[in-house]
Amino acid sequence: MNEPHPLSLLCELTYRCNLQCPYCYNPTDLDRYRDELGTAQWISVLAQANSLGVLQAHFSGGEPTLRPDLPELVAAASRAGLYTNLITQGTFLDDTALDALVAAGLAHIQVSIQAPHAALGDAIAGARVHDDKFAVLRRVGSRDVALTLNCVLHRRNLDCIEDVITLAERHGIRRLELANVQFYGWAYRNRLALMPTRDQVDRASAIVEAARRRLRGQMEIVYVLPDYFEDFPKPCMNGWGRTFMTVTPNGYVLPCPAAAAIRTLQFENVRDRTLEEIWHRSGSFQAYRGTHWMPEPCKSCERRELDWGGCRCQAYLVAGDAGVTDPACMLSADHGRMKAIREAASPDIAFEPRRINAPPSVRA
Amino acid sequence: MMAQRPSLAKGVRLRASGESAILLVPEGALTLNSTAAAALELADGTRTLDDIARALVDRFEVAPGRARQDVEELFSRLAERQLVDL
Repeated sequence: MNEPHPLSLLCELTYRCNLQCPYCYNPTDLDRYRDELGTAQWISVLAQANSLGVLQAHFSGGEPTLRPDLPELVAAASRAGLYTNLITQGTFLDDTALDALVAAGLAHIQVSIQAPHAALGDAIAGARVHDDKFAVLRRVGSRDVALTLNCVLHRRNLDCIEDVITLAERHGIRRLELANVQFYGWAYRNRLALMPTRDQVDRASAIVEAARRRLRGQMEIVYVLPDYFEDFPKPCMNGWGRTFMTVTPNGYVLPCPAAAAIRTLQFENVRDRTLEEIWHRSGSFQAYRGTHWMPEPCKSCERRELDWGGCRCQAYLVAGDAGVTDPACMLSADHGRMKAIREAASPDIAFEPRRINAPPSVRA
Repeated sequence: MMAQRPSLAKGVRLRASGESAILLVPEGALTLNSTAAAALELADGTRTLDDIARALVDRFEVAPGRARQDVEELFSRLAERQLVDL
């Protein structure tokens, strides 16, 4: 069999963050990740990734700009020939920080906003940050680095999607990512508060379609539908252990950024093993790689190499078993659980802000 | 269109890969055939699309009309995706 090799490495440099967005996909037991890898360890990880054939290094978190060594890590990745991408909420991107990152060879920055208006944006972020983001967008836009504006969408802001597009146009944004929240980590914990209604999703999709036609050639709009409203699962991570890996702040290597939620798997750490060993030989990467692990209905399904059984983390969270068909699939025996979650959602349920030292989550 | 002088957009990087090349872009990568790779190597903001098409005629065995058509198609497709500036 042709052994896959990774194309993308997500470096989660820290889970610390000055914001408290309830849709964060980070794990809810954030205090277990305080023992962060040092600069030399990250540089070694990047070199190992490059030897494995990785093309892209994504720096994320938490808020990755809280790491003072970020420019050094970007420089190490760029020197190795890796494409470098920074995923940030932008509150620390002053001129000095940006100049250092651009000089280090940073190719792309994704800056997120929480909503198109300050009152809502600040309520979601749990901090007064909205108004400062526009200076950040101008600063990034004036430098030699690509910019994507990102807004995570959910029940509280989905009805403002048109204003997000207008805001992006006003700021000359050429790439806009409108990402319906994916329910992992904090977002899963807050699912009943953040789950949109079918009406909201349908209206938003129509607005995006019209904007795409109108802005063709001027702004690219990336729009991802929420799993909970689809009939078939997405090819999550292009399939488990096929093209993607994440390294957590404390060095664990995961096939998907949400995979730490799967308590039935043992993950390896870059402090103990090389990335190559972990990619090729670890039990966690082999567990759901390819199609050999699949139960029915995936096993005999003609879509099995299109969606690779969907998302293992969603199967674990919603169906209680990471080894079954993604319940997003209408052929899954657990598909009804997605509907049950949709129907239990309510505008009267308050979300819980992301924070360190939160009490353990209660399983649905 | 053939008088335009294309260059790679911000955040777009060309990386050699054996005989060919990969175009690294925000959130993705495109594998290029050898003609497209050669064309993009020449897209430095000083050469016109005509210059690039002529260079391809010299380098690959391809008719001038065909080369112009290929170059025009390649760059308008990439421009639509914001990957080159025309």
